[in-house]
Amino acid sequence: MPGVLVYIEQVDGGLAAVTRELLGKGKELAAALGGPLSAVVAGSGVGGVAQQAAALGADTVYTVDDASLSPYTTDGHVAAVKVAVAAAQPALILAGASFQMRDFGAALATDLDAGLAVDITDLKVEGGAVSAVRPSHGGNVVTTYNFPAGRPVVALARKQSFPEAQAGGAAGTVQALALGGAEIRTKVTSVAPKSGAVNLTDAAIIVTGGRGLGDKDNYYKLIPALAETLGGAYGASRAIVDAGWVPYEHQVGQTGKTVSPKLYMACGVSGAIQHLAGMRTSRNIVAINKDPEAPIFRVATFGLVGDVNEVLPLLTEELKSRLGR
Amino acid sequence: MHIVVCMKQVPRDNSVKINPDLSINADGIEKIINLFDEYAIEEGIIWNEKHGGKLTVLSMGTDEWIEQMRRALAMGATDSLLLKDPAFANLDTIAAARVVAAAIKKLGDVDLILTGRNSTDDESGGFAPALARSLGWPQITYVGKVLDVDAAGKTITAERHLETVVETVSAPLPAVVSVIKDINNPRYPSLLKIKKVAKVEPPVWTAADLGVSGLTSAATIAQRVPPPPRPGGEVIDGADAAAKVKKLVDKLLENQII
Ligand SMILES: Cc1cc2nc3c(=O)[nH]c(=O)nc-3n(C[C@H](O)[C@H](O)[C@H](O)COP(=O)(O)OP(=O)(O)OC[C@H]3O[C@@H](n4cnc5c(N)ncnc54)[C@H](O)[C@@H]3O)c2cc1C
Ligand SMILES: Nc1ncnc2c1ncn2[C@@H]1O[C@H](COP(=O)(O)O)[C@@H](O)[C@H]1O
Repeated sequence: MPGVLVYIEQVDGGLAAVTRELLGKGKELAAALGGPLSAVVAGSGVGGVAQQAAALGADTVYTVDDASLSPYTTDGHVAAVKVAVAAAQPALILAGASFQMRDFGAALATDLDAGLAVDITDLKVEGGAVSAVRPSHGGNVVTTYNFPAGRPVVALARKQSFPEAQAGGAAGTVQALALGGAEIRTKVTSVAPKSGAVNLTDAAIIVTGGRGLGDKDNYYKLIPALAETLGGAYGASRAIVDAGWVPYEHQVGQTGKTVSPKLYMACGVSGAIQHLAGMRTSRNIVAINKDPEAPIFRVATFGLVGDVNEVLPLLTEELKSRLGR
Repeated sequence: MHIVVCMKQVPRDNSVKINPDLSINADGIEKIINLFDEYAIEEGIIWNEKHGGKLTVLSMGTDEWIEQMRRALAMGATDSLLLKDPAFANLDTIAAARVVAAAIKKLGDVDLILTGRNSTDDESGGFAPALARSLGWPQITYVGKVLDVDAAGKTITAERHLETVVETVSAPLPAVVSVIKDINNPRYPSLLKIKKVAKVEPPVWTAADLGVSGLTSAATIAQRVPPPPRPGGEVIDGADAAAKVKKLVDKLLENQII
């Protein structure tokens, strides 16, 4: 029976967190399909990463190891994964929903004439058919799509949607596949880390400031200090990104980043519908706002009515002493 | 050269409702050009000003979208093209891209297609890759800076701004490029230009004109609901800010959130 194929995303020579999540969820879905869980890693020198995936429950990990596959190109990685698809004949192909994976997943789905579900938060298999849940319209609409059995589906999952797979059980096997000829038309001449890049989408804790901080200086005085005390990253509403206080990198919301951390603290943020779009699936939300009617309180796990200028320094101090930092 | 910008109309905000037939109801919400598409239009104008030729704004939509197409013309697009057919309603991303690909092939002389990073309503981001693959063209997505469009050498070089890295990538033309928000500052069209294009009717191509048939979406919609309400929030009260802060930290520790 056809099973599940997970695209392995690599970070610093290891598995991306989202890949570990997908290996866990993939195992469950493969069982429901009655097929194997396989995984594929494309790149150059990928043996170690393949072993890690095999230890996390993949029955077969295909490696497509070729110098032309590093760095990532759409042409290269779509070609490589198509080789693994031909070997595994999966019903469902899973990858994360990062920008790179959207570049890849939609291209692969088009080539395979597969169904495509981008940024899904849940997946099910029933009677051999896949259904996928995805939020759209800034999180105001949640749609369940049913894909017919017999046609493959490419699903790209939002981070932190599923628990990560744990090691244990028998390790799977690693099988090398040859790329064959791939015509790679784009040429990547450099890959540079973004200076001061904050990967908000990876952060477990995010402290976000909004216009309620008053001005740029005050934002930088209060928000990073709290974020650092909590070991988290700091975010911003669009209002203050547009005002030039904080770089676009930090923007959370419909036109910025979608985040789903364990703790999201919104300070001096009103909670406009476009802001909620980017953070409403966070596991815990703390809102600090001086207006008790602010819409942010409607999604808050804990709401504190107060002035950020008074509350934030006290909060940072209290956390420092209680956490011993 | 001939640059095409793919433009979608979207509701200004996403306070949409769900119709009984599970389609989206955005009645009463002002319609605007998809935010990221404004950046695509501006980028198209910049390179059209440099190289001359045509800059076509292309939409697969309905008559309602013509207003936004006119705005793109007022900004500086030279041509417009509307793909309109009852068969195009509610298509998924890949099927929509196949329709647009058929139109691009029919146009015949296109060197570069610009799209937005994603639509702010459907939020897929799948359109540009699906279009590129349907055409058999290379793609450069999430572009935050176009370094060069070499019309003679037929190449484009651009920076892709991903979550944590910036890639510099070049591709042979024709190619499909999707752009992000901070690539440029879209211009406001002057009133004079808005007036000038107020009566422009874009040419319309139908499914028959494009020779596309049997269009279907891959999935059916089983359920469509508003997001589940978040479980009851708790107000952190106290005599003063210090008391509230203490209580908040207690709660965060008790619940093992930090
Ligand atoms: C197409 C489109 C896309 C958009 N995309 C995004 C997006 O991606 N992300 C985003 O964030 N927004 C987005 N917006 C903008 C959004 O509509 C709001 O304008 C924005 O989120 C407001 O930012 P804010 O909450 O910081 O500011 P405001 O709405 O001005 O709110 C400031 C809040 O601070 C509180 N406050 C003031 N002083 C204090 C104080 N001393 N102490 C405590 N609280 C205080 C106020 O009570 C208020 O609630 C978008 C809008 C559009 C039209
Ligand atoms: N119906 C359409 N007509 C023209 N362009 C579109 C259409 N749908 C999507 N696009 C383009 O594709 C981009 C990404 O949309 P999406 O992948 O659907 O989120 C948009 O910013 C537009 O540039």
